[in-house]
Amino acid sequence: MSVENRQVKLKIENINKTYQVKKSYFTAVKNVSLEVYKNEFLVILGPGLCGKTVLLNMIAGIEQPTNGKVYLDGEKIRGTHKSIGMVFQKLGLLPWKTVMENTEIGPKLAGVKKSERQKKAKNFLDMVGLTGFEKSYPHQLSGGMKQRVGIARAYTNNPDILILDEPFGQLDAQTRYSMQDEILRIWQMQKKTIIFVTNNIEEAIYLGDRIILLGKCPAEIKKIYDISLSRPRNVMDSGFLELRKMISSNMDLAV
Amino acid sequence: MEKIKKRFISEIFYSILSLSSIILLILGWMYLASKRPELFPSPQETWDRLILFLEKPIRRIPLYSHVLDSLRRVGIAVLLACGFGIVLGTALGWSRLVKSTFGTIFELIRPIPPIAWVPLLTIWFGIGEFPKVLLVFIGTFAIVVVNTAAGVKMVEPLSLAVGKIFQANEFQMLKEIVLPASLPAIFAGIRTALGVGWAIVLAAEMLGAVSGTGFLITKGMSIGDTALIFICMFIIGIIGALLSVLASFIERRICPWKTDR
Amino acid sequence: MNKNKTENTLLKRDKWKYGVIIPVLTVVIFLIIWELMVRVGVIPQRYLPKPSELGNVFIDKLSNPRPEDSTLPSNILSSLQVSLSGFLVAVVLGIPLGWFIGWYKGINRFVRPIFEIIRPIPPIAWIPLTILLLGIGFRAKVFIIFFSAFVPCVINSYTGIKLTNITLINVAKTCGASYFQILTKVGIPSSLPMVFAGIRIALGASWASLVAAEMLAADSGLGFMIMMGRQFTRPDLIVLGMVVIGLIGALFAFILSKLEKKMVRWRSIK
Repeated sequence: MSVENRQVKLKIENINKTYQVKKSYFTAVKNVSLEVYKNEFLVILGPGLCGKTVLLNMIAGIEQPTNGKVYLDGEKIRGTHKSIGMVFQKLGLLPWKTVMENTEIGPKLAGVKKSERQKKAKNFLDMVGLTGFEKSYPHQLSGGMKQRVGIARAYTNNPDILILDEPFGQLDAQTRYSMQDEILRIWQMQKKTIIFVTNNIEEAIYLGDRIILLGKCPAEIKKIYDISLSRPRNVMDSGFLELRKMISSNMDLAV
Repeated sequence: MEKIKKRFISEIFYSILSLSSIILLILGWMYLASKRPELFPSPQETWDRLILFLEKPIRRIPLYSHVLDSLRRVGIAVLLACGFGIVLGTALGWSRLVKSTFGTIFELIRPIPPIAWVPLLTIWFGIGEFPKVLLVFIGTFAIVVVNTAAGVKMVEPLSLAVGKIFQANEFQMLKEIVLPASLPAIFAGIRTALGVGWAIVLAAEMLGAVSGTGFLITKGMSIGDTALIFICMFIIGIIGALLSVLASFIERRICPWKTDR
Repeated sequence: MNKNKTENTLLKRDKWKYGVIIPVLTVVIFLIIWELMVRVGVIPQRYLPKPSELGNVFIDKLSNPRPEDSTLPSNILSSLQVSLSGFLVAVVLGIPLGWFIGWYKGINRFVRPIFEIIRPIPPIAWIPLTILLLGIGFRAKVFIIFFSAFVPCVINSYTGIKLTNITLINVAKTCGASYFQILTKVGIPSSLPMVFAGIRIALGASWASLVAAEMLAADSGLGFMIMMGRQFTRPDLIVLGMVVIGLIGALFAFILSKLEKKMVRWRSIK
């Protein structure tokens, strides 16, 4: 995406989160301000346990920030919003619902007619390659398949912005690679703004238009990288390796 | 091959152990019966008593209908307990206001064993059908409430977050997320309630009734008919075990996603 | 930080409101409604005493043996004696039995059939047989209490030992421990939380079946007292008995949960 065409979709202004544990205070997110552009693939990269999930939960409206504001298309939002979807790190599939019921939950809660919402859900289930598994329960699926359901579920609700919180963190390496290609393919098919969080540098460079590097706890923006490598990217490419070296030298190690 | 053989032999050994314990039990029974025949009927006498009972019903009510009477009381009470208990339990687990009002009263009354309600209930309602069902209801209701509330409290925060992100309202949250997530806990409650209900109905019938297994066993006691008591205890045990099997069958039917890891 | 502080005081206020004020108010309102219902006559006095009377009845009953020939303290004492004796015997016999059934296959296969025959029979169903065999004295009641407490003790200590982490057992094995040593050093300690849960269930069950036993066959005790209250149509006596029974039951549960917490702390240090 060329720099001139950038259009701010989501703006986060000075967001903070402090928890109180008995008598002491603990800051998880400190003064984070960032802009997310329309249809970009933004990667937030940070070491484990650095408050990334808290930051995301605040953007998605699941948690309230201690202070700071979130603007969507220039309008201040509070709480969850229909245009922001989320794929959870720990899946969050509802075990008592079949794959189809899990996928259609967004439109269902919004009161969309059954035939209509199932058509939508079917469409996205086909897209992530889960045709024929509609009637299965989550516990009958493999890790990668479960995460596909999570992705299909988020897309079925048709959000403008999709937040993915370390979605592939619990998959084995092979599955992880194929899921990375999968998410790129879907993103190119269905243009949406994606905020993708990971603790893996390679994954970040492989996927992102931009990378926001967070420091160790409390989460604080250290640096922002624009990745101009053309896709499909090659992890053995010299440009790729250079970036990788540069970013790792700046990245704090998780304890 | 050698290993399989060894295992086979040890399996036979253990089966003999199991068998011998039952034989021992029966032998012990027969020994007691021969020593104190006026108190302890032998297995043969107990069997004869059962046949006699089947031919000549007590109070003109056949055996199976005594059992059915008890089962009906438990059934009605447990159904009502489920209906009201799930509602109150959900409210207790979901709303702080309900917990600090109704929850307080509930917690104050709960430590009183259900059976201790019998005198009061008989003063209020006599010894008819209603107080018995009510007594079983009191005992089982508490169990359903406690289990439901615990289940609602223990719903995974992640599942709640899913509801939040898809903008569920309070009612949808309960219907789509909280209640299904607590179903296994609720079912554990219902299973316990069935067992406890079966025990309480006995107590209720023993303290005044004209039908039911509890009535039969007290009848046996008052006329010194130990064989009848034995028959009743067997039947009570068998029905109790069957109820537990039934509960787990229904549970598997209603919660197909639950796997026994 | 300022905002934090207000958030914090709000939380504290909520705790105060929902944890103390509303519950106390609820109880007061509940008692007032009860009092008014009886006073106005919606519920006749012969069905339910006024809560304001209960205090007087309590004081009177402390020294007045009528109508059932024993005072409240002696009733309580008699009930406690019976239930604790039966309960203790059940714990002492039941818990080790559960451990052995769970640990040794031979014992399991030998005891299990008998246990499985006895298990589904509710303790109350033992009352008639017990009365015929042992009369209605102390021994009979202890026997019934024993049955009600014995089963949960066995089941829980059995389950607890069955849940012993197999890795721990293997570690002990590679250290050259004998099977019995592993039982005492690994199996039993790791079963303790379940055992404790079993003891709690057992105590609750024994208190409940004590009341049943005393109502069906006794000449003293709290269960006997409320039964006599019914015979003489003294609802005040019944309600007093119910309150005392409930209080003692709650007290048992409280003491046990304190004890359990202590045990857990000891476990975590280890």
